[in-house]
Amino acid sequence: MLQAIVSGLILGSIYAIIAQGYYITFVTNRTMNFGQGDFLMLGALVGLTTLGTVTSAGMNLFVSVLVTMVVVAAAMAMLGWGLERGAIRPLGHVLSVGWILSTVAVSLMIRNIAMLIWGRNVIPFPSPFGNEVYRFGSVGITKHEIFVAICAIVIMACLFFFLNRSLLGKALAAVAFNPDAASLMGINPRRMAVLAFALSSALAGVGGILVGPITNTAFFMGATLGLKAFAAAIIGGLTNPLGILIGGLLLGVIEQVFSLYSSAYKDASAFLLILIVLIFMPQGLLGKKVKEKF
Amino acid sequence: MKKWLLYLLIALALYFFPWLFPSSYYVHMAQGFLYTYIVVAGLNLLVGLSGQLSLGHAGFYAIGAYVTGLCTVAGVPFLLSLLLGVLICAGAGGLVAMLSLRAKGPYLAMVTIAFGLLVEIVANRWVEVTGGPAGLYLPEAKLFGLGLGTVSYYWFIAVIALVVTVLIDNLFTSRYGRTFRAMGNSEVAAATAGVHVRNWKVLAFAISACTAGLGGALFAFQNAYFNSDTFTFDKSILFLVGVIVGGAGTRLGPLVGTIVIFLLPQWVQSLYNYHLLIFGGILLLSLIALPEGIVGGIQRIFKQRNQYSGTPSLPAPDSDGPSQMGSRDGADLNVQAAVMEFDGFRAVDAIDLQIKGSEVRGLIGPNGSGKSTTVNMLSGVYVPTKGKLSWKGVDVTSFPPHRMAAAGITRTFQNLQLFHELTVLENVMLGFHLHYRKGFAANILHTPGFLREESHFRAEAMRLLQFVGLAEKAGEQAAALSYGQQRLVEIARALATKPDLLILDEPAAGASLYEVDNIVRVIRKVKDSGIAILLVEHHMEIVMNVCDTITVLDFGKKIAEGDPAFIKNHPQVIEAYLGGEEVTKLVVG
Repeated sequence: MLQAIVSGLILGSIYAIIAQGYYITFVTNRTMNFGQGDFLMLGALVGLTTLGTVTSAGMNLFVSVLVTMVVVAAAMAMLGWGLERGAIRPLGHVLSVGWILSTVAVSLMIRNIAMLIWGRNVIPFPSPFGNEVYRFGSVGITKHEIFVAICAIVIMACLFFFLNRSLLGKALAAVAFNPDAASLMGINPRRMAVLAFALSSALAGVGGILVGPITNTAFFMGATLGLKAFAAAIIGGLTNPLGILIGGLLLGVIEQVFSLYSSAYKDASAFLLILIVLIFMPQGLLGKKVKEKF
Repeated sequence: MKKWLLYLLIALALYFFPWLFPSSYYVHMAQGFLYTYIVVAGLNLLVGLSGQLSLGHAGFYAIGAYVTGLCTVAGVPFLLSLLLGVLICAGAGGLVAMLSLRAKGPYLAMVTIAFGLLVEIVANRWVEVTGGPAGLYLPEAKLFGLGLGTVSYYWFIAVIALVVTVLIDNLFTSRYGRTFRAMGNSEVAAATAGVHVRNWKVLAFAISACTAGLGGALFAFQNAYFNSDTFTFDKSILFLVGVIVGGAGTRLGPLVGTIVIFLLPQWVQSLYNYHLLIFGGILLLSLIALPEGIVGGIQRIFKQRNQYSGTPSLPAPDSDGPSQMGSRDGADLNVQAAVMEFDGFRAVDAIDLQIKGSEVRGLIGPNGSGKSTTVNMLSGVYVPTKGKLSWKGVDVTSFPPHRMAAAGITRTFQNLQLFHELTVLENVMLGFHLHYRKGFAANILHTPGFLREESHFRAEAMRLLQFVGLAEKAGEQAAALSYGQQRLVEIARALATKPDLLILDEPAAGASLYEVDNIVRVIRKVKDSGIAILLVEHHMEIVMNVCDTITVLDFGKKIAEGDPAFIKNHPQVIEAYLGGEEVTKLVVG
């Protein structure tokens, strides 16, 4: 049981990282990347390849992991920039659901390209840290899981700092609150939208590197993970990063605990949870209620 | 009867198809096309008309397939199983709608995604019943003991598809379609016209779940075998793609959309390694190039709006007042110490208000004084935190907007809430919502009774439009009108509900001088017919001219009440508007 909770927290923190990507773009311009899962897949595969190249070049373990993360984050940020320019901005706001389909379209293309490059088979993603297991009483934690936990904490801390303290983060918040007023203050809402998508994609990419050694990698791995991260974001409340963190952890734990009893319905538990949460809290756990004015 | 000729031609084409393409491959493909089309057409009703979203229609598709399939396996006749499957889908659709009622936007999307995925998981894992990925073998579909071969099964699907098309098309052009569209445009305006928005949302979901289930059941029997691999999230997305790319809310959209999602993949299948790339690319390009879908884009080019009625001939201008404004009972409103708080902030603080008979009551006050909040409370949009509203002796404190409308209180909106996709005439016709008597069956079948009712209310709506001076704009889209004209349309729509108290929220804001005159004339006429008016307005000239009594609010409190002359010279009112002594000192120095 304790084991399930610990591995649930680890998995949940990855969900939360990916889900923060939904949050950032949603509050900035009310759109999300429904292909976040495939961006994650691409991040994992690019990460795998980069890691292989870097380590075979004989670099130190930690340096190579760091290099991999930077490369993936940069590559995915570029892709996110392209996504905003290519699939979000040209849509305008004629149809409120157009962005769902346009981001799905991009993700389909990415999935296809990934399949062409990396093939159809599941590729094992050995953790750069090996498979050693540390034992704390009855709980076993792999080195990789510790790495995930540390990364999650660092990324979350950076993200919260960036969003709440840095000028750029405040500019994002301003655009989220009122794009017109923000643009009068000299903030370019479009640039912020690009930034949001770049950041969101980078998070997905890093999430891919973290999740890869746990699930292994394949071109079709993204869909489920993307949806689960979306579920985490919704459970927590799309407009609240803290809620998303809680939502992700909750989802991870519940999944792992359920899989103790019946592995068959592990996936179902996540979606049952979300239905129950939304029936009673239609804005998620920590989402803000907006009173509409007429 | 051009429409029926068209249907006949389509029926003939469908009938002769197996002779034109005498290969089981093509007949098979036609079957697939038709049942996919049925699903897309139903989803179009939900997404295109009622403005809701479903990313879980594969779930209904699956339920239809499994219920029908399992029933026939259990020995129930095919047709009866089909009916059962469709009915259970309707129930499931209603259930999903109930679950997602309070959820909006991405949250609603998530509820439908979760539903679709849950169904998929059950189908995959409950192997004893569903067969899971190994599949389920079905007996041949039989119609009254007659086995249906490939071609006759195709004809069976064709008949159903044609019937579904006719019914959905009827629904589009009936008041049901109009109400769905209105709800999609502005929920709150539909509610103040008396539409029970929750029930209508559930209805829209149930109908579109029905068609999805029907499509699923027809799919299941196509090969007398199916497995759980079909019912994925991607399938739900695919259906949605069909609706959006075809043209959401258009009548031909689903047909074109189905060509894109069904025939296109068949065509690029030979390029298996690239088909997602090609499909995704086409989808992206079409979304960018044709944001309103293919049919929507074409309609825009040709400006041919599918209106089922041109501007109807004007009725003889018998009198200036339309019949539905005959003598009304007048208002009897009593507000006692109503309080409205938002997160501890008191927007309205213990207001008392009485409106009786057919008076015109002005409600004025500086910005932020609580006028709009008061209007929202009176029309049922907000429920007061404390206090009591009684109307004609009945406690209406917690009535939602549609019940307020039924009781006789309705309103217009400061920030216009017209149904912008509807014509001006249709907007007003929607106002009669509470007075339609013909039910769903009459509307979907276009019975003579329904047609009579439609023309009756169309004439009534024309009279109202003539009354507000917009008869010649009847056929135009509401969004194309000027600000002041849109406000007049809102008044006409509100009058159509036959209210006893009409709340006008800044009717003259943004109106031209000519339109202001018209609005003042309309207010006077409405008053004469016995309807009370609560007028919220900043134009002091209008307020002082037309109001019998004026209530003044400041910081959520009532500071004065009396006739215009009294209010004009009331020191507290002057202070509220211009500032008190301190302010004067500050300004003057």
